[in-house]
Amino acid sequence: MKRRMLGLLAAVTLASTALSACSSGNDAPAGGSADDPVSLRIAWWGSDSRHAYTQQVIDLYTSKHPNVKIDVEYASFDDYWKKLAPQAAAKQLPDIVQMDISYISQYAKNGQLAELEPYLNNQIQVGDVSESVLGTGLLGGKQYGIPIGVNVLGFHYDPELLKKGGIDSIPADWTWEKYEEMARQTGSKGLYFDSGFAPDIFFNYYLRTKGETLYNEEGNALGYDDDKLFTDFFRIQADLVKEKALRSPDYLNQIKGVLEESDLVKGTGIGVFQWSNQFVGLQKAAARPLALAPMMGPDMEKGIYMQPSMYWAITNNSKAKEEAAKFIDFWVNDVEANKIIKGERGVPISSAIKEAIAGELDEPVKQVFDFVSEMEPKASPMSPPPPTGSPEVIAALADLIEELNFGRITPEQAAASFRKTASEVLAANK
Amino acid sequence: MLKRNTALRNDLTGYAFISPFVIGFLAFTLIPMFISLYLSFTSYNLFSAPRWIGLDNFVKMFTGDPKYMNSLRVTFLYVFVGVPLRLMFALFIAMLLNNGSRLIGTYRTLFYLPSIIGGSVAVSIMWRNIFGSEGIVNSALIAIGLGPVSWFGDPNAALGMLVTLSVWQFGSSMLIFLAGLKNISPEMYEAAGVDGAGPARRFFRITLPLLSPIILFNLIMQTISAFMTFVPAYIISKGEGGPMDGTMLYSLYLFRQAFMFNNMGYASAMAWVMLIIVGIMTAVLFFVSKYWVFYESEGGR
Repeated sequence: MKRRMLGLLAAVTLASTALSACSSGNDAPAGGSADDPVSLRIAWWGSDSRHAYTQQVIDLYTSKHPNVKIDVEYASFDDYWKKLAPQAAAKQLPDIVQMDISYISQYAKNGQLAELEPYLNNQIQVGDVSESVLGTGLLGGKQYGIPIGVNVLGFHYDPELLKKGGIDSIPADWTWEKYEEMARQTGSKGLYFDSGFAPDIFFNYYLRTKGETLYNEEGNALGYDDDKLFTDFFRIQADLVKEKALRSPDYLNQIKGVLEESDLVKGTGIGVFQWSNQFVGLQKAAARPLALAPMMGPDMEKGIYMQPSMYWAITNNSKAKEEAAKFIDFWVNDVEANKIIKGERGVPISSAIKEAIAGELDEPVKQVFDFVSEMEPKASPMSPPPPTGSPEVIAALADLIEELNFGRITPEQAAASFRKTASEVLAANK
Repeated sequence: MLKRNTALRNDLTGYAFISPFVIGFLAFTLIPMFISLYLSFTSYNLFSAPRWIGLDNFVKMFTGDPKYMNSLRVTFLYVFVGVPLRLMFALFIAMLLNNGSRLIGTYRTLFYLPSIIGGSVAVSIMWRNIFGSEGIVNSALIAIGLGPVSWFGDPNAALGMLVTLSVWQFGSSMLIFLAGLKNISPEMYEAAGVDGAGPARRFFRITLPLLSPIILFNLIMQTISAFMTFVPAYIISKGEGGPMDGTMLYSLYLFRQAFMFNNMGYASAMAWVMLIIVGIMTAVLFFVSKYWVFYESEGGR
């Protein structure tokens, strides 16, 4: 009897030690010379189609490098960051992470990301990448990310519906006044001109055309002093919503995040203001020919910039940084891989790749490439990446704009409230 | 000596048997709780080391964060409207089922189903569609001439939508009520019937008093779980608590602070305040129960 008890006790103790051993068992040894088995973890966010082709690229890579094993982690944009933060705290980040412009400074400043300087033109060839594009991965003069592709803001629309709304074409140098006029005109014919502006992105664009920025250079305060800029910009759409020329936030809330439900896809809306890499997905969902137009001005050239759609970054807790760098090089410079990617993550940064795959592209992708090439010489340099705390600032702005578009507060109240909240959050960076 | 040895060994055996629980409790509950208590006095963004800031988090909560006060208001509204409605509905269904029908098992399972699946993502998505501007609820409202309600535009309507979802998950309270109802002896009703008491009188004079301990139990359990509601608010508002923070329940705001803005210290402080609030609520319910709960075994008051 007693013996049996002791045996049980031993079994329980054993089980519990085994349990604790499990948790520390996943630090697979990695690194070393070229042909040693290496295992890498890579994480990205995106849609299903992105998950599928990214896996294809990874399979292609591992078939060429049989010693490398790559584990993947992917999620939607929101979930991705919720997963990544605890991993960062636990020093368990994947070797390669896809970084967004609004998060990269937070991760870099807190020492999560490796400096990539030593790998440039060693493992990662960047000879075909223009300085200004590569420079978007610089933070405080140090390279923390390799941009994967570049995007530019624009208006993506259905030319047929535009005609139905009584407008022949988007004028070459259109202005905000012209935009309001057109939105009212199509609105009166039951066609919504657009689906609203992502507040932070387009407010920043508007500020740039006026020579200001959303955040200051140091990232510890707002970059504009005159709240009139805020009220001028946000009044435009608030008025249009009030006049029912644009959809109410109530409706937009319901269809948020579901492309198939958007007005453009359903044929009740003419266009969408968004980044160029979102064009292809939109076109696929709509299954009609769409077109791209530049942003409205005045001073559109001062406002637009080539923004990296996302970066690849190597984390500091990676034990196989060189191998990780090799994979990034493959992504940037391999023709075969880019024929699979087809510019879905933005127009490739390497000019050689851009040329090599130009003939392979479907019509909508080619439209995007052409649009980006057309905008590239006009664009101004990018503002520094948004500072730490920017997600909170952006959320506060989005909440206020929602209240504004519902008509609960005035633009002046929103401006003051935004300045107060944003200043408090950003002051933490001082 | 030998005896002591045996006693020790017996103790160890006991500990061995409860060790899975104890280890789990320590590793996943107690230690994290103390860490979160510590973090609630710090500013911590997950990346750099926590920085001690004393009571600043708590001060900010009650003096400098209107969104926090709003989330408290929304949560209290949700609890004080949702829980009584859910309990009434559960009791109503339980009384319907307490009639000795042979299909009772089937019905019981059917009515319990929403409680099992109600917290799931799929149901919350379905709820979004049911309450959409062209959804079945608005169609019904139009059909009876009440006009459409902007469920995603009006903060109070959006909270109402959450409350209906919570009422719909009445299953577990219903089962407990049903068990309680079966414990009330039929003789009482017979005797009351002979004395000429109608159904309403029987309900208020017999059913409710005899069921009151069970009502108390359900009330406490449901109140606690209602304070912690998260998934429906998260899914229905796509994680943003909208429209205009109308569905920004406490736990959702806590989640946003913790995992969207990485304000772990502030979120920990919020969690502790929540614990205190729930503790106070429970204490109040127990205290007040003296005046309305009737225990048969104590022969009444």
